[in-house]
Amino acid sequence: MSEFFAMSGYGKYLWPSFAIGFGIVALNYVLAVRSLASAKLQAKRRLEMSP
Amino acid sequence: MNWTWFHRFGSAPYMYGFAQRWAPWFGGAAVLLMVIALYGGLVLAPLDYQQKDAYRIVYVHAPSATLSLAIYTTMAIAAAVGLIWRMKVAHAAAAASAPIGAWFTVATLITGSLWGKPMWGTYWAWDPRLTSELILLFLYLGYMGLRAAIEDPQKADKASAVLAIVGVVNIPIIKYSVNWWNSLHQPATRLLGEADMVWSMVWPLLMMFVAFMLFYGAVLLIRLRAELLRRERGASWVREVLS
Repeated sequence: MSEFFAMSGYGKYLWPSFAIGFGIVALNYVLAVRSLASAKLQAKRRLEMSP
Repeated sequence: MNWTWFHRFGSAPYMYGFAQRWAPWFGGAAVLLMVIALYGGLVLAPLDYQQKDAYRIVYVHAPSATLSLAIYTTMAIAAAVGLIWRMKVAHAAAAASAPIGAWFTVATLITGSLWGKPMWGTYWAWDPRLTSELILLFLYLGYMGLRAAIEDPQKADKASAVLAIVGVVNIPIIKYSVNWWNSLHQPATRLLGEADMVWSMVWPLLMMFVAFMLFYGAVLLIRLRAELLRRERGASWVREVLS
């Protein structure tokens, strides 16, 4: 197992690459969902204010 | 030719419903393929005879890089469609694409840098491929900055569309920079036909390409719904979908 994580000595470059790459994938999803939630809230507020 | 489908995609309520229906399917398929491709790339694919395990960074770097170019191209096409046919949904799709493309350009630059250090001995060089990819990030940031700086949405759509279309000239420069100039970066790897890699290395990469594209589709559809709600928040269809 430790051999797998060592990645023939390149683990210190490989694992941060995967963490950052897939971290950005996850962050994109979170930001998109938050953007939609905020747009829904703004639209609802506007609808409540209008007759 | 029947253009009914094209006009349907120009309707904000139709696109909102379409995005709502399809985003979970795109997202689910993307996650499933990413997990399989990760297992294939990290566990099943053999060692490279020169780069050893370091080459496995390709499974996150190359799909991010491809997506950074594909998203910009999509954004420019959407912006052009918006300008030519005055289609608000197309401008909304372009605006929704920009932050996703910017993030994947950041991923490309960082993962490339982490791959460059053990292979080239440096995290960064003012190399044609690296520099043109950095310019792509500035184009994305410029597009978003320009949109944010103009209060009138229609003027923002037009001005940012022109910038997106002009900036598309950078895409072939990035793609062919490794052929046109001396570059530290390797030329494009052939994945099919007379492939430069064995199939057990290739399939996880192809699967990751598809997974990243599907993921872009999912996130674009979510952001597009947000963009349409912001633009049309006074419209009657918004009242219906939110009630």
